[in-house]
Amino acid sequence: MPIKLKNIFGLSLLMLSGCSQLHHVHIGEIDQSQGRLTPFTLKVNELGFDAAKVAQVGADVAKSASTSEDLELVAFILAVSNFGPKTGNPVYNDAYTDQVLAEVMKTCPSKKLTGLTSVREATNVGPVSGEIVRINGYCIN
Amino acid sequence: MLKKTILFSLLSLSLSGCVGLNTVSMTQAPAERDNKITTDSSSWNFIGINFSNVFVDEAIENLKEQCPTGKIEGVYTKHQTTGYVLVFKREVIVSAYCNEV
Repeated sequence: MPIKLKNIFGLSLLMLSGCSQLHHVHIGEIDQSQGRLTPFTLKVNELGFDAAKVAQVGADVAKSASTSEDLELVAFILAVSNFGPKTGNPVYNDAYTDQVLAEVMKTCPSKKLTGLTSVREATNVGPVSGEIVRINGYCIN
Repeated sequence: MLKKTILFSLLSLSLSGCVGLNTVSMTQAPAERDNKITTDSSSWNFIGINFSNVFVDEAIENLKEQCPTGKIEGVYTKHQTTGYVLVFKREVIVSAYCNEV
């Protein structure tokens, strides 16, 4: 196998395995005095998409110079329109975390919760990402 | 000689690491603050490529072990990243108070 092909294969594997990114951690109070704790984990996930990166890759691999220039312009417009403070890639649903509390309550029949830890993280695979909110906690039995 | 001094200074500077503070969070502090517990957990990576964030969970387990029958209150969580040359250390540093009920 030529070296170049090996490199591309290796890089593709690396990209497919996904790169994990940690944005925010908040650890809550843990009460171990009221009985046995049962851990639970709840994850909500939304597809994040970096359109500017896709356009830039398109511009880099385009065969004709004019197509490449057009795609670079598209990439620039997309980058400018998404400019500003942000966490992770843009998503197309701004309400995907709204039901988190209701879901947490469902996992804990006693409704007595403790040790709630909220983690905002992402798994990146090239220009696509999973924008994740993970809630770990304990249910007091 | 000057060249070596500059090179040595730059090397020392890069090895000392540059810290970026990612997030800080705190829960309500209790009135009783005698028994302070602390823990930290970290994860190293090369050029920022990570495959897991489980080191956060390790910090929580360490905290629980230090207060097995009490209440962990006033939890202060700091998430920071220290950058060395091409190598990064992600770290969660937690301090809290353990109060027996």
